[in-house]
Amino acid sequence: MITAPLPAAPAELSAVECTSRCPLLLLVGSGLIWLLLSGVLGLIAAVQLHSPTVLAGCRYLNYGHMQAMAETAFIYGWIGNLGLAITLWVLRQLSAEPLRAVGWTLVGASFWNLGVLLGLIGIAAGEATGIPLLQMPGAVQPLLLVAYGAIGVAGVLAWADRRREMMFASHWYAVAALFLFPWLFSAAQVMLVWAPVRGTLQAVVGGWFAQGLWTLWIAPLALAGAYYVAPRASGKLMPAYDSSALGFWALLFLGGWTGGRHLIGGPVPAWISTIAIVTTVMLLFHYIVVFLNLRVAYGAGGTALKFIGFGLAAYVAGGFIDALTSVRAVAEVTQFTFFDAAQHQLAVYGGASMLLIGALYFALPRITGKPWASAGLIRGHWALTVIGLVLLVIALAGAGWVQGTDLNNAAVSFAEIADHTRPWLLAATAAQAILLLASFLLTVNFIRSAMPECPWGREAS
Amino acid sequence: MSSSPSDPRLDPAKLTDEAMLVAHERVLGPQPDERAHYRLRPLILLFVASGCILFAATYLNRYSGHFNPSIYDENLVPSSGAAAIVPVDPVVMGKKLFNSAGACFTCHQPTGMGVPSVYPPLAGSEWANGPAERVIRIVLYGLQGPVSVEGKTFNAAAMPSFGTAGFNWSDDKLAAVLTYVRQEWGNKAPAVTADDIAAVRKAVGDRKAWSADELMQVK
Amino acid sequence: MKNGPLLFLGLFAALGLAWAGIVLGANAQLSGLVPYYDTGDSQAYPLGMPGQAAHGQLVYRGLECAACHSQAVRRPGFGADQARGWGERQSVARDYIYQPAVQLGEFRIGPDLANLGGRKPSAPDASDLYELLYTGRGAMPAYTFLFEDRKVLGQASALALSLTGHFRPAAGHEIVPTRDAQALVAYLLSLNSEYVYPEARPAPPPAAEKTGEAKK
Repeated sequence: MITAPLPAAPAELSAVECTSRCPLLLLVGSGLIWLLLSGVLGLIAAVQLHSPTVLAGCRYLNYGHMQAMAETAFIYGWIGNLGLAITLWVLRQLSAEPLRAVGWTLVGASFWNLGVLLGLIGIAAGEATGIPLLQMPGAVQPLLLVAYGAIGVAGVLAWADRRREMMFASHWYAVAALFLFPWLFSAAQVMLVWAPVRGTLQAVVGGWFAQGLWTLWIAPLALAGAYYVAPRASGKLMPAYDSSALGFWALLFLGGWTGGRHLIGGPVPAWISTIAIVTTVMLLFHYIVVFLNLRVAYGAGGTALKFIGFGLAAYVAGGFIDALTSVRAVAEVTQFTFFDAAQHQLAVYGGASMLLIGALYFALPRITGKPWASAGLIRGHWALTVIGLVLLVIALAGAGWVQGTDLNNAAVSFAEIADHTRPWLLAATAAQAILLLASFLLTVNFIRSAMPECPWGREAS
Repeated sequence: MSSSPSDPRLDPAKLTDEAMLVAHERVLGPQPDERAHYRLRPLILLFVASGCILFAATYLNRYSGHFNPSIYDENLVPSSGAAAIVPVDPVVMGKKLFNSAGACFTCHQPTGMGVPSVYPPLAGSEWANGPAERVIRIVLYGLQGPVSVEGKTFNAAAMPSFGTAGFNWSDDKLAAVLTYVRQEWGNKAPAVTADDIAAVRKAVGDRKAWSADELMQVK
Repeated sequence: MKNGPLLFLGLFAALGLAWAGIVLGANAQLSGLVPYYDTGDSQAYPLGMPGQAAHGQLVYRGLECAACHSQAVRRPGFGADQARGWGERQSVARDYIYQPAVQLGEFRIGPDLANLGGRKPSAPDASDLYELLYTGRGAMPAYTFLFEDRKVLGQASALALSLTGHFRPAAGHEIVPTRDAQALVAYLLSLNSEYVYPEARPAPPPAAEKTGEAKK
């Protein structure tokens, strides 16, 4: 394949210092491996939904295990690694010093990946905890907690070393992600794994953790990168920046209360789900502020801003759909269905993941000192990801709506529900395959862009 | 800064870090008052925030169940007493008691037909359909000696006491089982309440089983 | 924001407030839930979970059955849970106090199981469940690894499945559930939320309130 000649790199494109390069590339590279793995696992799980005989005889690889493994690999493997990489890079860019405690980051990243791997093996072996978004066996969880602390040290030090006394929006979100994850994670571990609470309180704590993980960890990781890249790549001032602090605090103070979101009509007192519904609707304020700020990504060109623009639209749409489906009249239909899965994919894959990928497209040339290796792979990745995500969300939403209306009609048997949802689930499987291919393109591009660099002990040329 | 050719492999940074930080910081500081009136966007955001808070307050007020741990249906409010709770149907409770282990059904059978020559029937029995005062005494204190039911005499076994030592059922239970018996299997007699049982207990006090003759004296 | 420590405190307050409100608040209300003693039955509900059933719940958890099955019946009128025979009343917190690992589930690709052992008019029995697990049905896969295909030694096992058609084992062989399968079925049959607790009683009809208001 003949590649076009590289564009003349403007003077400011220089690689980040050698010591910072290695941990950042390690985090991004391992994240991409987890993205591929979760894509494969998710594809098999999607197939098992409409063809239950696939791998049915294997006690380690049944649908439940596949689903839990795909979710764990995506959230902790992909979002965790890439999110931390982008966060550390952004904090480094905004600080006056190179990254410190880099050795800790390298060790932490290695043990984080080891922990996720052990977690997946544990789930397959039948030791999953059964807690949504916390499926890995209890024995592995402290390993991830400690590893995260090791990685996060570099970030906190870079925050302390910031160039200017006034913090930028990326600082708030990055620091929130760095501190809130260990607190959330350890509290959930204690109350669910080490000294489990009694009865449906487990579901309440599990819901608090799952919603907290999304609103207080994943979303801040994505927004830290987006708030940095959008103005820098577009050259525009964010128009609603004076309100951005309000949007930040709205997310933080409201996010933790949305825990009862999936317990509507469930075996918990009604006030828990009422508070969740109320705060989910109030979070619209945060989504509006984020949109008003990050819309500078639209209109300006470039790869990063294309992905960030898509991610922003999906993130905000996810928030609005979350508020809509929390209303009890709608929840009556969409609860327990694939519609919830569609909203989750829209928010996490379409929103957070795309925002992070956009930041990655901007960041990698500034980590390695060279542009991305292939324009074709970038265009392919963009096209396949957009097609895949739109198809996935629509397919799952359609399947969920059909399933929900059928579930509420007692005359429809489960065999008939399976028949009605099959075409939608087949479309969702196709979408998963497209997204897997897109991830593969991104990984190949990354390997070709970054691997020639082997900065162990060498200065950048 | 010259515009670079649009190559997707490299996004030029159109602002340096320093320029971006300074520009955004300036937005946060005091602004020159150019137009001498309020800016629109903060007002709109205030409006949106107020709308969110209004929704939240109204929804919480309506559907919180007053944060009561016993309210699982968001449309309900906690009430002071039993008014909001649908009372348990005594016939349903009575049937359960009748058929519980070691109780009435073992002798009188679930069909209420009894066992010929051994246990008297309850279905269509003049005792079951008769004055409540008599059946209350039977279940409270027991019955011994011969008794005539529907023309036949039964003397094979004594009926134990259900209201005192041994079974020691409460007034509620006795009232429920009597109410059940008095409307089941074609019987049509008024229900018995726990107060009726309590009154008899108080009036009679403690005694051993009644005999049929003694009961016939009671009206 | 310039002040680092203030940001840190704000983060802590944000998470701490939500945790205190939701988790501690729910804990105050739910952790002290005790069984309800019914004087009519002289029995405390919910019934304790027998050891084999508790082990069965861990098998359920390990197999991730909650990926397809929920265990929370919604109240009549909110969805078709009652019409489908899943339960006459809403599941309440007291139903779960003896369960070591509550598996509420978030998807209903298969039916709700909260009241499987208490379904009216008829609950499934063990042989129905063994057969379902072995053969699968519809979207549910066949969990053949929960069973053992072995030679009949002397008398056939009391637990041997009676299967027909192409599921029948070879001559002289029997299909017997493993310990895990027995525990799982014991757990599923122990799921019974038939008893109506005071907090689970249905709402009073609105007519009574209206006449009350009209009288005023």
